[in-house]
Amino acid sequence: MKKLLFILFALASFNLNSQELIVISNLEGLNMKVGETFAPTSYAETLNGEKTLCQAVIYYNKKGVFSTAKAITVNRSEGTIRANEPGTHEIVALCIGQEGQRLSRTFPVQVDYPKAKEINIKLSSLVVYESSFIPLEFEIVDEMGFSRKNEFLQLSSNSNNIEIDAFNNVKAVSPGKAVLEASFDGISSSVEIDVLSNPIEKLELKASLDVARTGDVVKYDALAYDNQGNKLVGLPFTYTFYGKAIDKSDNASGLIMNDGRFVAEVIGDYMITVSLGTKSTSRPLKVVGRGIEREVVKVGQGIVSDKHTSDFWVFEGVDGRDYAVTGTWGADGTSFFWDVTDPGNIKKIDSVKVDARTVNDVKVSKDGRISVISREGASDRKNGIIILDVTNPFDVKILSEYTKNLTGGVHNVFIDNNHVYALSGSQRYYVINIEDPKNPVEVGMFEIGKEGQSIHDVWIEDGIAYSSNWRDGVYLVDVGNGIAGGSPSNPVAFANYDYASGAHHATFPFKSKSTGKFYTVLGDEIFPDGVDENNPNITAGFLHFVDFSDLDNPVEVAKYELPGQGSHNYWIEDDILYVAMYGGGVRIVDISGELLGDLYRQGREIGYIMTGSPNGYIPNATMSWGAQLYKGYVFYSDWNTGLGSSKVSELKPDNSKANQYINRTPIID
Amino acid sequence: MKKVLLLTILSFSFCSAQNYYFYVAAESDDTVSLIKFDGNQAEELERIPVGMMKTEIEGPHGLTVDPTGEYWYLSLAHGNPYGSLLKYSTKTNKLVDKTLLGLFPASMQISELTGLLYCVNFNLHGEMKPSSVSVVDPESMTEIKKIQTGIMPHGSRLSPSGRHQYSVAMMSGELFEIDALTLEVNRVLSLDKKKMNHQGMMHHSIIKPTWVMPHPNGKKLYIAGNGSNEIIEVDINYWSITNRIDTGKGPYNVDVSPNGKYLIATLKGEGKTAIWELGKKRKSLISNTSSVSHGVVISPDSKYAFVSVEGKGGEPGLVDVIDIKKSKIVSSVNIGKQAGGIAFWKLEQ
Repeated sequence: MKKLLFILFALASFNLNSQELIVISNLEGLNMKVGETFAPTSYAETLNGEKTLCQAVIYYNKKGVFSTAKAITVNRSEGTIRANEPGTHEIVALCIGQEGQRLSRTFPVQVDYPKAKEINIKLSSLVVYESSFIPLEFEIVDEMGFSRKNEFLQLSSNSNNIEIDAFNNVKAVSPGKAVLEASFDGISSSVEIDVLSNPIEKLELKASLDVARTGDVVKYDALAYDNQGNKLVGLPFTYTFYGKAIDKSDNASGLIMNDGRFVAEVIGDYMITVSLGTKSTSRPLKVVGRGIEREVVKVGQGIVSDKHTSDFWVFEGVDGRDYAVTGTWGADGTSFFWDVTDPGNIKKIDSVKVDARTVNDVKVSKDGRISVISREGASDRKNGIIILDVTNPFDVKILSEYTKNLTGGVHNVFIDNNHVYALSGSQRYYVINIEDPKNPVEVGMFEIGKEGQSIHDVWIEDGIAYSSNWRDGVYLVDVGNGIAGGSPSNPVAFANYDYASGAHHATFPFKSKSTGKFYTVLGDEIFPDGVDENNPNITAGFLHFVDFSDLDNPVEVAKYELPGQGSHNYWIEDDILYVAMYGGGVRIVDISGELLGDLYRQGREIGYIMTGSPNGYIPNATMSWGAQLYKGYVFYSDWNTGLGSSKVSELKPDNSKANQYINRTPIID
Repeated sequence: MKKVLLLTILSFSFCSAQNYYFYVAAESDDTVSLIKFDGNQAEELERIPVGMMKTEIEGPHGLTVDPTGEYWYLSLAHGNPYGSLLKYSTKTNKLVDKTLLGLFPASMQISELTGLLYCVNFNLHGEMKPSSVSVVDPESMTEIKKIQTGIMPHGSRLSPSGRHQYSVAMMSGELFEIDALTLEVNRVLSLDKKKMNHQGMMHHSIIKPTWVMPHPNGKKLYIAGNGSNEIIEVDINYWSITNRIDTGKGPYNVDVSPNGKYLIATLKGEGKTAIWELGKKRKSLISNTSSVSHGVVISPDSKYAFVSVEGKGGEPGLVDVIDIKKSKIVSSVNIGKQAGGIAFWKLEQ
């Protein structure tokens, strides 16, 4: 009998490994209102409908626990869920069986928008002219204050001088007053539109150039006059272009802005048109090659063949000779010192080994006396920085180790005016006074103070620290400039710009010599397919050029993106960009003039250096890490190769060995 | 005689056909190694690159294999700024899914009762404030709760029943018991003999506990007192300290053999591994093949201890295989730098 009971119990016991069970819950088909709470109940059931209780049921929001997942929350102590935001959310019911096995099911929970309260209709142009589309924006605000812009509204009008198509585009067809009505969720709103007759009798298009190079920004200005010959101002013109590339296999591409600026990417013949309603006029533009390519010659190499190389810094020593320091990555904590006085004969002259696996960053003070190297992977997990005396780079000496608040690993450092700016555990940076380099003292700290704050790099110029904070973008911080009353002991942020990808890892400030404009050049760091230590890798991301001339209104105006290769560290001098593009080598790019659009497609590349070497740690695998222009030479470090130098010559590229089908850009005479 | 010979041959064949598989993380190389030990020789079968950012060390730290043996899980200590939990297939050693956790997620284990994964957020380099245990549903790879515990929690281990999760807080010197079902802290035990908690000042533990391991009988917990050079024995029922066992310098990780007979601890500060036969006072000390001994896991048959050893600087990390009965290293195998987290996968005949 006992045996029989046992068998029966075993049969009835909750075996969640069985494929025949499913979680049944009153969450199924649940609709909630914002602010409502609901007590879910769940159990497991066989396909035959036999109900089995769970030992416990754990409910959770499938988006997790971060602040971005608060649209619906679970109160475990009360056994309820609460709807906080409208939308479709997912709640998981995890049933723990009597014998411990688990079974779960995800339930979509619909949280309804509260009743719509008002429809806001925004006409983004002060005046509307006949035969033009009306720029309208709609916003629905509900009773709880939630707003949304992407709902499809019912548009209607009794006026016969406007037309509404199936996609809610509204066109003004003839002059006169019109009323447009928008309805949604039982409420409606209307806007009165005064369609004006087109006043233009005569339309001219002026241009800053009629022959331009690719990448040159041409400024167009429309001049309109009425039938009295009066000049018309403030008209909402539309600028468009079409064109034909010289190369039949290419397209005449470019970018045109609403303010009349145009930049062409491809050589060819273009036509720029300005229009208002049915009135338009055009002007041709001839686009020729930029003609800035130069021969780039490899000059010297300092090979590191037994480990990966990280960052580097080239500096003038106190003896007037030129030196460089390179770090190593995922190795034994070594930094190498080099004599680069003759860039064609780079000599390894000393090394320093510290307790670390990675010396990711190395910097040298302006006077050539102090070097600071960062540590990650120290065996005692204290990491921090090491301060070196490099007055004699042939015999570098460790002055001090500094680890306070830096035990999480230091990824990047910068030296400025007797202070070291050292990143701490990718969250913030500390400012350390090194006037007495044997006794460094922490004097300040900067963090952006947001949940999940994260930092990758800091760079100082003119008393401003450019803090690169991944998804939070760049922060401009006064550490002695005076613009915001900051100092090394009191860093004060005064400007910020972020962008959608959130991959912002480095910043280089750039005051354009040719235009006087001030940009911050923001670099991405992206590995879309993860990492393979032993083979070339796929990288992505690009440089974002942000016009920071107005600190309160920074505008991203251009990008440099090399197809198939991502960006890493870079240097800008005399309106030329030197950027390490990992597998794409070091790219040398003309960034003179106004910057707008896709700089790579505009043929601005002067030349490139493939930095791999057959003698490298991974032979012939270019993985450019960083670049620095120093006394006319382009120095670079390569993850697989070590240190190298190149020279951009005055000569045009040598095409003698080029494939016969190579098509160098024509240059205007 | 023939019979004896046959038995000997059979038992030898049986023994030599035992293959032990386990995973070990190399924290400063961003790799995880799959190791096979055939009873004589340990061999690295595969070195699996992990992490997302080639130019950053992301620090693979904790490892665990789910009870079915189908997946292994890895905590990546560093991120932007949060670390993450990665799920890999044991069949392919390819990444299956990932999710963000807290600051410096470290050791973890999956409960056989709930099927949930409990991972401590060590926050090794952060501010001295209480951190948390992340509870993750490994099926959907969703972090479903962060349970606040002490400062620098480490050593996440489940009771044999899977009902309770234990961890210790290194800097606040506390032992935490979490109810794996209700996801609440059940009990807290201060491990320090004297509390140095001056008014208004943060208590910094002298014990600096770094690991906790339940005995398979579910009655005792063994805690590595990394700062006090001792193993602390706690009675689970009475929730009190019942013994303090002197170790050597810096006990770090602890394991108890599945048969309940042996207690093994790595002595990080000495580069040694200590073995106790529970109930007997004598301990055996084994010098590891390199310095900075880190993790230890014992095979299900209680015969071998697999010990990860970090090494220093450019030295490779390694795994020492220790024959527990003989208290002797029988094989070593090099892996990536700073060998740390270690998890047993399977024993095959």
